[in-house]
Amino acid sequence: MVSENAIFAFGITNLAMLGWLAVAAAPILIHLWSRRRYRQMSWAAMEYLLSALRQSRRRLRFEQWLLLLIRTLIVVLVVLAVAEPYLQQGILAFTPGGTRTHRVLVIDGSYSMAYRPADKSRFEQAKAVARQIVHESPRGDGFSLVLMSDPARAVVCTPALEPEEFLREIDGLALPQTTADLPRTLAVIDEALKSGRREQPGLEREEVYFLTDLGRVGWASKLDAAAAAAMEKLAQRLAREASLVVIDLGQPGAENQAITELRTVKPMATTVEATEIQAVVKNFGRQAQKARQVELVVDGRSVQRQQIDLAAGGTASVGFSYRFESPGDHAVEVRLQSDNLDIDNHRWLVLAVKPAIPVLAVDGRYSGEPFGGAAGYLRFALAPRDDDPSHAMVRPDVVPESALLETDLARYDAVFLCDVAQFTTSEARAVTAYVRGGGGLIVFLGDRVAADRYNRQLGGKDRLLPAALGKVVGQVKPGIDPLDYRHPIVAPFRGRERAGLLTTPLDKYVTLTVPADSTARVALATASGDPLVVERPFGRGRVILVATSADTSWTAMPMWPSYVPVVQELLAYAIAGRAAQRGALVGQPLGATVSASTVGASGTIETPDGRTEPLRLRAEGDATGWSFDDTMTGGIYTARFGQSTGQGELYAVNVDTVESDLEKLSEEQLRAEVLPGVPLDYQTTWQAAADVSPSHLGRRAVLARALLYGVLVLLFVETFLAWRFGSR
Amino acid sequence: MENYQKYLDPAVLARLEGLRLRARHIVEGYVSGVHRSPFHGFSIEFAEHREYTPGDDLRYLDWKVYGRTDKYHLKQYEEETNLVCYLLLDTSESMRYRSAGAPMSKLEYAQCLAAALSYLILQQQDSVGLVTFDNEIRALVRPSGNPSHLKQLLHVMEQSTAERKTATGPIFHELAERFKKRGVVIVLSDLFDDVDAMMAGLKHFRHRRQEVVLLHVLDPAELDFPFNETTLFRGLEGLPNTLVEPRALRKAYQREFNGFLHRVKKACRMHRMDYATMRTDQSVELALSTYLGARG
Repeated sequence: MVSENAIFAFGITNLAMLGWLAVAAAPILIHLWSRRRYRQMSWAAMEYLLSALRQSRRRLRFEQWLLLLIRTLIVVLVVLAVAEPYLQQGILAFTPGGTRTHRVLVIDGSYSMAYRPADKSRFEQAKAVARQIVHESPRGDGFSLVLMSDPARAVVCTPALEPEEFLREIDGLALPQTTADLPRTLAVIDEALKSGRREQPGLEREEVYFLTDLGRVGWASKLDAAAAAAMEKLAQRLAREASLVVIDLGQPGAENQAITELRTVKPMATTVEATEIQAVVKNFGRQAQKARQVELVVDGRSVQRQQIDLAAGGTASVGFSYRFESPGDHAVEVRLQSDNLDIDNHRWLVLAVKPAIPVLAVDGRYSGEPFGGAAGYLRFALAPRDDDPSHAMVRPDVVPESALLETDLARYDAVFLCDVAQFTTSEARAVTAYVRGGGGLIVFLGDRVAADRYNRQLGGKDRLLPAALGKVVGQVKPGIDPLDYRHPIVAPFRGRERAGLLTTPLDKYVTLTVPADSTARVALATASGDPLVVERPFGRGRVILVATSADTSWTAMPMWPSYVPVVQELLAYAIAGRAAQRGALVGQPLGATVSASTVGASGTIETPDGRTEPLRLRAEGDATGWSFDDTMTGGIYTARFGQSTGQGELYAVNVDTVESDLEKLSEEQLRAEVLPGVPLDYQTTWQAAADVSPSHLGRRAVLARALLYGVLVLLFVETFLAWRFGSR
Repeated sequence: MENYQKYLDPAVLARLEGLRLRARHIVEGYVSGVHRSPFHGFSIEFAEHREYTPGDDLRYLDWKVYGRTDKYHLKQYEEETNLVCYLLLDTSESMRYRSAGAPMSKLEYAQCLAAALSYLILQQQDSVGLVTFDNEIRALVRPSGNPSHLKQLLHVMEQSTAERKTATGPIFHELAERFKKRGVVIVLSDLFDDVDAMMAGLKHFRHRRQEVVLLHVLDPAELDFPFNETTLFRGLEGLPNTLVEPRALRKAYQREFNGFLHRVKKACRMHRMDYATMRTDQSVELALSTYLGARG
């Protein structure tokens, strides 16, 4: 449509409209027709009329032609405006008179774009359209690339003027498997536009293209009123500054199934007994699915298979039982039979399998005798089958208070403090660092506890203890309040009153005060309402504070049937933090503290897509930790430190399955629900977008508007001249 | 007379009577006012005395004779009538024009004026003659003061049809030679002719010591050119037709036409001729009384 050496060329969007240019002959025809339709009369003063005519003939002819020209031009301009002409620039686009355009290409990075309606995924289609836009744009235009993911990011922020470089960026773009964050994406687009104005002021026009499947989850996510209003305001401003074009690559009624959850029934996995693994499969489609195969893969080896039926929109739970032969990190994967969106058909779980769970009990009244000291009953409750240590799931070590500092806490999954009188500053720091790094800490109190030292060393805002310690009181009212069994620690006791939890005798306890704005939760309370068990997450670990003693000095609980299950639940809950830290959702950072032996060593991490990235170690309080942000792909990540050639530490990253719901917005819903009152151009397929050549989309309205303004001016001129000529 | 008899059929008589009545109405409307005819006879030589009889004009009573003889005698002059008025009625084709807004054509209007003037002049015992002309003299009625003369004048007026071109110059020259008696020459015409030739003819009248009055009869459309639609103007008196957008040409036409009026008026002033524009949308009575009042 444009010759190679043209500076400007016009194109027409609605070529068929040009047929109406024939109407431009109307003023001439009307003129000729009016000359054929006239009245007649005799005229006496003909001599003077003829004389006037002789003198005015040339002027009259000029005026007549001028009016005819204007009237014809009015019709031509109206037809051209309706035909939506656009201006294209040729190779001399840098000519000062030329209009250059900054095009911001926004590619939807939510993983629903991985859906394959045919041989190409939506994401590949989006990249193809992006390439098409770049190819069809005149030289001199600038391009920015924004990935509409969570978090949204500008792949190319400052406008790229070299199409080849920009095309390489498009080719190298990988789908990050996240959801889409529309408000943040709009902010990134705004940044890119501002950057364009700052860095390339010659780019006078701005156009933003959204290449998306219009998934409801990403586009119409629930926002609070203030955020929604801010987003709408930003969208309005963007629409004023730039032409917004949405190219819809989605297909309504797409079917999809996904594994939405994968977990172990118990938080710990050992080689001692089989681990119960549970997966939840959901059908997001409108059709029931029969005999879908679900497969358990451990360390890359398929070990079990099951078949399930799924109702339309329904979920199904699949249970596997697997006993790990060897200790160490194991990658567990559950695979669902493949469909058009494969990303959510896999879910991973990393289990740090141990021969037994190492637990440290620090005894404030260490005696070395069975059932002696403050931790004697506790040790028994942790490992009831003391007779056969090889079959014990928990391997407790009991040490005196003085050994706290010299023990490598990182070797233990959980630490129990039993009637420890007080902490030195370095002890408090060591315990805090341990929990921050993912350890579980359970604190039992007793006669030796110096409440003020506890509060001073470990209490307060952003400090370890979830509650402030008060004075020691005796129980006024018998009984325990389970607080409706809401907390996971006591949830297993629901309906099992015979376990004796509610009748546990309590002689003394310390009054605990939970700060008002704390994240701490009370799991169990006394009958008089004082908190008995308070917990809260701290760093990557968890802290549980029990207001009474672990032995029989303050309570007869160790003699009670509820004691062993309570201790087991406390342990399970405390170490769940460490287990959880081996998994994350796509986009969330991975991280851990490193053991003392690896401090100073360099680390690397292998990603599921085969890359190896260096790990940056950084101080986390008193410990050293690492974190890795680039978790845009689901799968198993392997971290290695020093010269280690072994298996390394495994981490599982999974997609957030909200994006598995492939319901899409229609054009009307987009305009009404998401961007009400925001003017935007909507295209359904990239072919249609190609027909309306992208470089003109923004300009055509401008040109049509200019033509209509021209019509308005000509109408005024015509009226004025007709009046002026008529009155001469 | 035979010809005259032919027009005595009731319809013609009715028409004549119509014109007569109209003339009478016009004149009596005027006479009943405070005016007298502004046309007077010329100074003439004394002939003899005649005894006064009631009804005679007291202006001519010779008071000196009355002082001597105690008898009333009137001065008798050589001429019986003091005033001779020649009405020159243009009956060229252009006089036939009547626009939509005008109550009558220019010719009809000029006829009314001529009839009224005839009636008025005859009423005061003066003589009036009539000439109708276009490019030649069509009818000539010699001046007479006989009251019955009016009927003939009106008949000739009524007879006149407007069909031919105008050529006033030679006709005025010829008439100037023919009119022996001094008097007032009243021209009723739209003057659509060569102004210079026409003025040369009129100057001839002045040269023969005739008083000249130009009653310029015009249709309002000729002055205002009020047309809006595209119009084919058909030329009269042999002029061509032309298709015109009147709105675009109005100003230019009015400029031309006013130039023509200006030249006529200027020439009249120069040769001491009386000039008055008579618009056919004005009432004849009003136009005449205004003119006569101004003249008196």
